[in-house]
Amino acid sequence: MKIVVAIKQVPERDAPVRIAANGKWIEETDLQYAMNEPDAYALEEALQLKEKYGGEVVVVSAGPERVGTVIREALAKGADRGFHIVGDDVAGRDALGVARLLATAVRAESPDLVLTGLQSEDVGMGQTGVIVAALLGLPHATLILQVEKSQAGVKVKRELEEGWFQSIELPTPAVLTIQSGGTKLRYATLMGIKRAKTKEVRTVKAADLGVDAAPVVALEEMKLPKKQKSTQILPGSAKEAAAALVEKLKFEVRVL
Amino acid sequence: MTLLPPTLAEPGRFSETERWIFIALAAASLTLFWLRFGPILANILQSKKDADFHLRPIGRRVWDFVWEVMLQAKVIRQRPLAGVAHAFVFWAFCAFAMVTLNHCATIFGSGFLNPRSTAGRFYDYFAAAFAVGCALGIAGLFVRRFLVRPKWLGALSWESGLIALLIFVLMVTYLGAFFMPNSGAGMRALWWAHTLTLLYLLPVIPETKHLHLVLSPFTVFLSRGGFSRIPPLAGDEDFGLVAGKDLTQLVSLQAYSCVECGRCTEHCPANHTGKTLNPKQVILGVRAYLNDCGPESAEPLLGKYNSQEAAFQCTTCGACEFQCPVGIEHLPIIVGLRRGAVNTGAWEDEHGGKLFLALERGSNALGLSAAERDKFVEKNALPIFDGTQEYCLWLGCMGGYDPKGREIVLALVQVMRRLGVSFGVLRKEKCTGDPVRRLGNDLLFQQLAEANLETLKRGQVKKIVSICPHCVRTIQEDWKEFGAAPRIEHHSEFLARHLGQLTPVQSQKKIVFHDPCYLGRYRGVYDEPRAVVSHAGRLVEAPRSGERSFCCGAGGGLAFLGEEKGERVSHARARELAATGAEIVGAACPFCNTMFRDALAAQGRGAPELLDIAQLAAQGLPAKSAI
Ligand code: SF4
Ligand code: SF4
Repeated sequence: MKIVVAIKQVPERDAPVRIAANGKWIEETDLQYAMNEPDAYALEEALQLKEKYGGEVVVVSAGPERVGTVIREALAKGADRGFHIVGDDVAGRDALGVARLLATAVRAESPDLVLTGLQSEDVGMGQTGVIVAALLGLPHATLILQVEKSQAGVKVKRELEEGWFQSIELPTPAVLTIQSGGTKLRYATLMGIKRAKTKEVRTVKAADLGVDAAPVVALEEMKLPKKQKSTQILPGSAKEAAAALVEKLKFEVRVL
Repeated sequence: MTLLPPTLAEPGRFSETERWIFIALAAASLTLFWLRFGPILANILQSKKDADFHLRPIGRRVWDFVWEVMLQAKVIRQRPLAGVAHAFVFWAFCAFAMVTLNHCATIFGSGFLNPRSTAGRFYDYFAAAFAVGCALGIAGLFVRRFLVRPKWLGALSWESGLIALLIFVLMVTYLGAFFMPNSGAGMRALWWAHTLTLLYLLPVIPETKHLHLVLSPFTVFLSRGGFSRIPPLAGDEDFGLVAGKDLTQLVSLQAYSCVECGRCTEHCPANHTGKTLNPKQVILGVRAYLNDCGPESAEPLLGKYNSQEAAFQCTTCGACEFQCPVGIEHLPIIVGLRRGAVNTGAWEDEHGGKLFLALERGSNALGLSAAERDKFVEKNALPIFDGTQEYCLWLGCMGGYDPKGREIVLALVQVMRRLGVSFGVLRKEKCTGDPVRRLGNDLLFQQLAEANLETLKRGQVKKIVSICPHCVRTIQEDWKEFGAAPRIEHHSEFLARHLGQLTPVQSQKKIVFHDPCYLGRYRGVYDEPRAVVSHAGRLVEAPRSGERSFCCGAGGGLAFLGEEKGERVSHARARELAATGAEIVGAACPFCNTMFRDALAAQGRGAPELLDIAQLAAQGLPAKSAI
């Protein structure tokens, strides 16, 4: 089974986020980056499929120079080859723009499966994987927790609302977007990092792929959420306070 | 002269036949010895070179040799009675080196210790005194091993009995000569009895634990030094102790030196509480591996010869390494086995994996958001270190994120403010890497060490103080591989130095102090925390304290792993501490603190209160200086 995993590099979870001067993006200097968590699960799923059924795992990522580190990380965890679409403007592209870049790489590999995270931890549009499927004319399924090979292609477990699951089969090749938490992630090892040094990473300039970069979605403004303190202390005896609380929950917050 | 009793050094004239018999037997004995010892020596020499071995500083080696080998200080100190008995046997062996050479020479009529000269006579008597000591010593050890039978010596071994008997015969035959009529047939018989015993003993040595006679002086002299010192990995193909090819000469030498005394196991908290781990068996496992597979084998070290489960039950408390009388360094071996498993991804553990991922993606071992630490710093108005303050107060994961750890930090802050000592905390701090270092994750450890060193360098930090012995040890010793860290001290050292400026607490409360492994055995700090305790109440000692302190169970990354097998180490220790009748347990490590929190609560009503020494020191401060 040949699997392509599309990975995004996002700011580290603990990174202090500041808005850039132009108000359209975040300040990137001094920021630490990490692999987008749902993508890490997509990679893990791919590695487990490879361990079970054999084959090859190719990771692809689009972004500036720094993106190379997540590709190396993926190679260290067990991916076989890397594909880096280099472009400094990738963060500025909309989901369609990024999906177009990824789709060219996927097309070149003609894999049996394309896996990617359900959404990114930074902008969280949740569209890229699905658009890639559309661009390639492949069937797709989202919110996947488990994948196994079946007669028709693959059988997958999808997560629905309220603890419900759905099991469906798709023909391959197909695109699956993976939900976090479906499996256990493996930790990075020294041996993996050392071995990754000799693995191949192809780099292609985004500009050379000849895809349309014009956005269809325009980003207006980026803002940090306002900090607000609206703690209310309910006075009186426990009984009175409880009554007041029920009142508020019923009529102000409307959750009861 | 003739009035003096004769000695074994004057057996009279030997016949030619006797000489030939002696030559044949001696040759057989030496050959057999070599046939057995040669392969062992080859295994040691063919092992990989120790990349970081330096003979210097030679002074330390000479001192260790004199203290531990010549004076037998470690043996005596840890087990006084058996130790003294052993020392007499050892000293007698030294004294007998010359006697034995002379003994063999006499058959050719060329003995050099002339019994008729004053010097020769003197030496004979001198050796006789040791022979008496040795005979008594070996008899005592025999009684201990076969009648008293301490549990730690393991199953009875007939070999030990045989060796004891041979040594006893050697001494008795030597002493017997003093009661013999001059140079008669009786004396010759005695000479032969002594000789045959000697020639029989020689080839028994390499195939029993008595190999330590030959090897342990080298083991002690050549030891790596430092305590629990983890050697750097050498080259791109070194992932720790994976297979025979990774065993270094020192590891192999140590594996063959083990005398199976069981001191390590006797003090092992994991073994005491029903875990599989047995440090003596770890060493013997490596030895068995070398015997079966050799030092060039690709057969995994963890598997048939040592279990992965056991290797990951070690709290790295260091009691084993501290106790071992022949200089075996257990921790580089146990951590080495872990490195081999983790660096190659062979270790799979749900909690361990979570810890690694938390530190790959985040900043602290507790897996919390760094914003939590920011909030704590902000809420308590802790000053940010800007290079103008004297101390950088290192919070560590526990001090920055754990509620009890934070209380300790705040108590220390209160004292520092009272003393007018300036300090600041870093804006950003990552885990020092202690848990991953001990669990054998070199990749993560290096990343954490380098990131922190960079932060400290940029912040121009010169002096650090920390409430956590694990942070102190890791920053001071383990980071060395990646750069020079600023000077760091534990808050017990800081507090002890400033005690004079603090008003003592007028209290007679009994406080039992628990020595954290990483402060005591690892750093050699025993008196400072006790000074702080005595300042706040009446110090009482637990049965196991000081360098023999019993672990709390948290070290070696185990605080982050799941439920233990058998009894919890923390419960065993808490029981011991509570049994002293103390009203307060004084701790000096946030990890001990977190372990004892539950363990003391489980002791039921009347269990002692748990306070860190910083909290004890802060007790005496007027309430107004509260922060
Ligand atoms: S370090 Fe402590 S827990 Fe580990 S083997 Fe030695 S004595 Fe046992
Ligand atoms: S390792 Fe050291 S302490 Fe343990 S049994 Fe062997 S010689 Fe004794």
